[in-house]
Amino acid sequence: MDYVAPLTVEEAWRALETEDARCLAGGQSLVAMMNLGLVAPSRLVSLRRIASLRGIAKEDDGGLRIGAMTTHAELAALDVAECGPALLAQAARVVAYPAVRAFGTIGGSVAHADPAADYPVALVAANAAIEVASATGTRRVAARDFFRRLFETALKPGEIVTAIVVPRGPTNGRAIYEKLSLVAGDFAIVSVAAVVAETVTIAIGSCGPKPLFASGLPLEPGALRDVATKLAAASDPPSDHRGSAAYRRKVLPELVCRAVRAATT
Amino acid sequence: MSNKLAIELNVNGEPHDVLATAATPLLEALRTGLGLTGSKRGCNHGVCGACTVLLDGKLARSCLTLAVDVGERPVTTIEGISQNGTLSPVQQALLDAGAIQCGFCTPGFVMALTELFAREPAPDREQIRSALSGNLCRCSGYVKIIEAAERLAAAHAGEHQ
Repeated sequence: MDYVAPLTVEEAWRALETEDARCLAGGQSLVAMMNLGLVAPSRLVSLRRIASLRGIAKEDDGGLRIGAMTTHAELAALDVAECGPALLAQAARVVAYPAVRAFGTIGGSVAHADPAADYPVALVAANAAIEVASATGTRRVAARDFFRRLFETALKPGEIVTAIVVPRGPTNGRAIYEKLSLVAGDFAIVSVAAVVAETVTIAIGSCGPKPLFASGLPLEPGALRDVATKLAAASDPPSDHRGSAAYRRKVLPELVCRAVRAATT
Repeated sequence: MSNKLAIELNVNGEPHDVLATAATPLLEALRTGLGLTGSKRGCNHGVCGACTVLLDGKLARSCLTLAVDVGERPVTTIEGISQNGTLSPVQQALLDAGAIQCGFCTPGFVMALTELFAREPAPDREQIRSALSGNLCRCSGYVKIIEAAERLAAAHAGEHQ
């Protein structure tokens, strides 16, 4: 295994041409997997020194373009009114623990695509896009298309996640990220990201190999619970030490209702 | 096996040369490379907090930080917390409250509280609990650890009145 720390994305692309090379962002997932013997890249390409992957800029529509190397702590500190970015900031505040939030990055988390992670759920609900770039060009992939399956994304060989683009969301919208976990900082048993305007848009995490998505849901509590119960019945949650599939299906509708209640009161 | 690289780490204010592979966690470089065994290897995948250090002044998991990726950023370990044999206020507060059982998690808790008190001299209980949320005590001695932090916070609040 060798290690390189390029200063530009162009150098990073060249470094990634080596078979089995991996990008190293904050390392909070990759190094854990290396320590557990689950991955052994041939080369680590550290993105830490690439200035263009940092920083948060406002988009024309009032949304944000967030550099891939932005840390969870930086996102958690965002004080924004627009419901799209606000949803992401809420999710960032409950990712793991302070030490992980200080170094873990949104780009790293997104590329890792853990179905129990917080960002994928928030990004799908916020209708965000993942900006990816390789030597042959830059493209933006809708979050809903980016997360494919367990730890699998739309990234192609040679591509790097360069930014996350979050639209401002509905003008009168309110966003809530609701996470059920065993203890603060653990991965979610079930998580719900909701954008509430005239209707409800939701994404649900930890209930399948990628975030579940549903839009046009009613605000009325009884009707909402009916729809959420149907979603739960159709979901494919895992059974693990955090909870059984049956338990996850049981709490899912309640969490959806709780999120919408929190957004409307 | 990967080749070892000679790297320089700035630890507790001093430069150190250490050999590390690309995959060597900072924790291992500190413990076996530099003999700084105060940072503990608990889970080795970022959950327990026993390996916590300050990296660039921020709380960091040394098991999830690769030694080669540290670069110029300064590292502070538990060995750098007391000054000339005098315990830091956080260490003294833990001692005074009897907030230590087996002691394995204590260095990590000291680092987390040190970082908290550096940015917030008089944290409330919620801030304390939040700052300690990434540290596990398997003796489950949390109550006294939080009490120790609250006493220190109260002492600081008193000084400012």
